[in-house]
Amino acid sequence: MAEATLSYKRVLPPHIHSTASLAKRNWGQLIALAPLFVTACLTGHAEILRVLLICLVSAVAFEFLAGKLFHKKESLRNGEAVLAAALFSLLMPSRCPSEVVILGVFSAVFAAKELFGGTGNYLLHPLLLARVFLQLCFPKVMSEPMLLAGDGNIWVLAAIGLGGIIFLKQKQGYWKTPILFMATCFICEALLGGQAMPLTFFSAVLFTAFFLLADPVTLPLTRRGTMLFVLCAALLSSRLSSEGFSIQGVGYAILLMNLLTPWLEVWLKPTPYKTKNQFKATYLS
Amino acid sequence: MPSPKNNPKGRILVQTVPTLIPFTEVESGVFQVAMILSNKNHRVTMTAQGAIPEKKKRPGRKAIGIRLERKKDASLLNWNLKRPYPPEKIHIPIPVAAEPCVRVGDIVQTGQKIAEPKGPGGVSLHASMPGVVERIENFPDAVGRKSLMIEIRKHGEPKPIPAAEARKGWTEIPAEELLRIFQYSGLVTTDPRMEPVHVKLGRHAGARTIIINGCEPEPYITGEQVLTLSHPVEILKGAELLKKALGAVPTPINFRGSEMGAVPATVDPQKIKIGAEKIIFALENSNLEMMELIKSKIYFLKWEHAEVRSVPALYPQGLESTLLQAWFPGEEEKAVVFPASTAFAAYEAVALGKSFYEKVVTVGGECVVEPRSLWLPIGISFHDAIQACKGVMREPQKILMGGPMAGTVQATSEVPVMVGTTAILALPKEVVKDAIAEPCIRCNLCVDHCPVSLSPAMITLAADQKEFATAEEWGVSECIECGNCAYVCPSKRPMLELIRLARSRGEAAVGHG
Repeated sequence: MAEATLSYKRVLPPHIHSTASLAKRNWGQLIALAPLFVTACLTGHAEILRVLLICLVSAVAFEFLAGKLFHKKESLRNGEAVLAAALFSLLMPSRCPSEVVILGVFSAVFAAKELFGGTGNYLLHPLLLARVFLQLCFPKVMSEPMLLAGDGNIWVLAAIGLGGIIFLKQKQGYWKTPILFMATCFICEALLGGQAMPLTFFSAVLFTAFFLLADPVTLPLTRRGTMLFVLCAALLSSRLSSEGFSIQGVGYAILLMNLLTPWLEVWLKPTPYKTKNQFKATYLS
Repeated sequence: MPSPKNNPKGRILVQTVPTLIPFTEVESGVFQVAMILSNKNHRVTMTAQGAIPEKKKRPGRKAIGIRLERKKDASLLNWNLKRPYPPEKIHIPIPVAAEPCVRVGDIVQTGQKIAEPKGPGGVSLHASMPGVVERIENFPDAVGRKSLMIEIRKHGEPKPIPAAEARKGWTEIPAEELLRIFQYSGLVTTDPRMEPVHVKLGRHAGARTIIINGCEPEPYITGEQVLTLSHPVEILKGAELLKKALGAVPTPINFRGSEMGAVPATVDPQKIKIGAEKIIFALENSNLEMMELIKSKIYFLKWEHAEVRSVPALYPQGLESTLLQAWFPGEEEKAVVFPASTAFAAYEAVALGKSFYEKVVTVGGECVVEPRSLWLPIGISFHDAIQACKGVMREPQKILMGGPMAGTVQATSEVPVMVGTTAILALPKEVVKDAIAEPCIRCNLCVDHCPVSLSPAMITLAADQKEFATAEEWGVSECIECGNCAYVCPSKRPMLELIRLARSRGEAAVGHG
C-alpha cells in the first residue's frame, strides 16, 4: 500500500480528441487527386508531370523559405505545400514555360498565402489569385490548352468524378456544398444556353466543386453562409466569362465572393441558444 | 379523436385499453406491443409493419452532439455494487456552508454528524467511516484548490453497519419537514455543482416538473446506470419525495405572474406554493433495458404523473442544461433536474433515516485492473479507490476526476472523493495523447457540433487577437463548456482555454464598464 504518490500534468479538458487532423485532410485530398494525374498521363497529357514537378519543388522551396522567415513550419509538416503544388499544376497550361510556373507558385504560396499570415489566415484563395495574376500578365501563355480546358476527355471527367467520390467518402467537408455548386451550374447552363464542349464544362464544374471549394479557409464560417457563397459563386462563374463556364470565370467568381466572406459571416451568424441568467451554469462550475 | 373514416392515410386507428402509463417515445420494436396496451391518451396507428405511434410534437431543438466511443462495457461487467474495505484514513471536505462540530481526538461513528449547517443554506456533514478525528486542516482537493477537510483515521476493527430500518410513517411526512430532513442529512446534488438539495429546490421554486436524470453521456461512466438498474423503485420514490418537497417552497413573484395569471392582492406572496405535478425520468436511448425497467416500475406503481423520456446517446445530450434546453426551451424555470443518485439519496435519507456519506462512483479507464462502479465513502482518496478495484496495470498518463470530455486532471492521486465525483479514471497515454495546436482553417466543424449553436471558431479567433468584446458579442457567455469544439477540431486548438480566457476577460470588461 505504501506506493509513492504519482505525479501528473494538469491541463484543461477535453482529454480525448477526434482523429481528424490537418495532415489527414491534406493527404486525403491528394489521394482524391491521384486518379486525375494517372488518367492525364494515360490519355496523352503527360506534360502535366513536368509542370507538377516544377510546382512541387518550387512550392516546397518557397514554404521552406517562408518557414525560415516567419518561424512557421505547419505547411511543410501537414502536406499543405504538396497539395497546393498539385492543385496549381492542374490550373496551369500543360506547355507552360518553367519561369511562368515558378512565378505563379511564388505568388500563390509566398505572396498570397504566407505574407497574409500562412495557413488559415489568408482572405483570398491563393491558387486562384495566382492564376488570375498570371492571366493578366501573360494572357497569351495562359490561354494555351490545359487539362481542364480545350476539347475535354471522358476519362478525365471520370477521374475527377472518382476523385469527388473519394473526397465525399472522407467526409472532410459538408457534402451539400459541392452538390449545390454543381446543381446550380447545371441549371444555369440549361437555362441560359447550351455548351459548346459539354465534357470540358462538366470537368471544370466537378473540379471546382470538389477541389477548389474544398479549401475552407476562404469560405464563410457558417453553414448558411457557405451555401449562399457557393450559390453566388456558381451563378457568377457561369456568367463571368464570354464562353460560358470556364476555369478563368471560376477564378474571378470565387475571388469576388471571397471578398464578401466577412460580411456573409456577420449577416448569417448562428443564433445562440440563450439560457435565462439565473439558470446559467457551465457543466463544470 | 379522429374516427377511422377521416383518417387521411387510410390506416386503422386502434382505441387502446385504458391503462396507466403515459405515452413515451417508442424506441424499439420490443416495446411496441406494450405501448399499444399501455397507451391511454394517444392514438396508435396499425400498419403492416406494426404499431407506429403518431409523432407527438414536443417543443424543442434538434439534438446536437458527438457520438463518442462509449467504453462502458468494461465497468458494466462487474455490476453488483460493493463497498470497499475501510481505508487507513479519509479526508472529508467540509462544504462552505458548514461548521465542524467535532474536535481533534474525538471518536466518530459512520453517519455521525461532524459539521453543522451554517445558516439556512447550509448542510450538515457526516462521517463516512468510524475512527478518530486526526486533523481539521486545509488539504489539496480534486479541483486544484486547497480546502478545509476533516481527517479521520481508522480506529480499531470496523464493525459491520447494522441493516437500516424503515422510518415509521415516512410517506406521511409533511413537505416542510422533508426539506429539514434533506438539510440535516447532508443531502447535496451528486453532480459537479454540489448544491445542497434544499437550496436547489428553493432556487427552482415554482417548477412543475421534476426531471430525474439517468443519463451519462461521457464515456466510461456507469454509476447512474448501475444504481438505476439495482434500485429503480427507490429512485422513483426518492423522486416522489423531491416532488413533494418542492411543494413547500414559496413561489417567486416574477414567475407566479407569468404562470398563474393575476393573483389577488390580498394573498401573501410567501404563501403561494405551486409544487411539481410531474416526474420525467430521462434516459439515453441506448439503454433499452433501463427504459423497459423504469417503464414497468412506473406502471406497477400506478403513477400517472411519471413518464420516461429518452435523449439521443450523444455527448453532451443528457447533461442538466441540455435536458432543459431540449424539453423546456426558453422556460427553464418550469423544471428542475436531479441526478438519479440524488433521488436515491433522498429516499434513503427520508425512508431509512440514513445520512448522506457515500455515493456510487465509477472507477475505470484502461489502466484499472477491475473497472467497476462501487459505493465509495465521501473522502476516500483516489489512490485507495483504485486499490479497491485491484490497482492499476500500468502507470496511467492521466488520472481524471469525471469523464474524459469534462473531467479534471489530478496532480496527485491522494485527493479525496467529493460529492460531485462521478468517476475516477486512470487513462493510458494511448487514449490521452497530447497534440500540437495548428492554426484554425475555419472548417466549420465546431460550429456544427456546438449544442448551444455558437460559433466557437469565431469566439476563439477573437480571443486569440485579444478582442474580448467581439467574443462577448458572439455569445461566449452562453457557452456551456462541454468541450465538443475542442474534441472535433482538426487543428487541435485549445478551444476551452481560449473560451475561458474570453469569458473571464469579457466579464471583467463588463464589470468595469
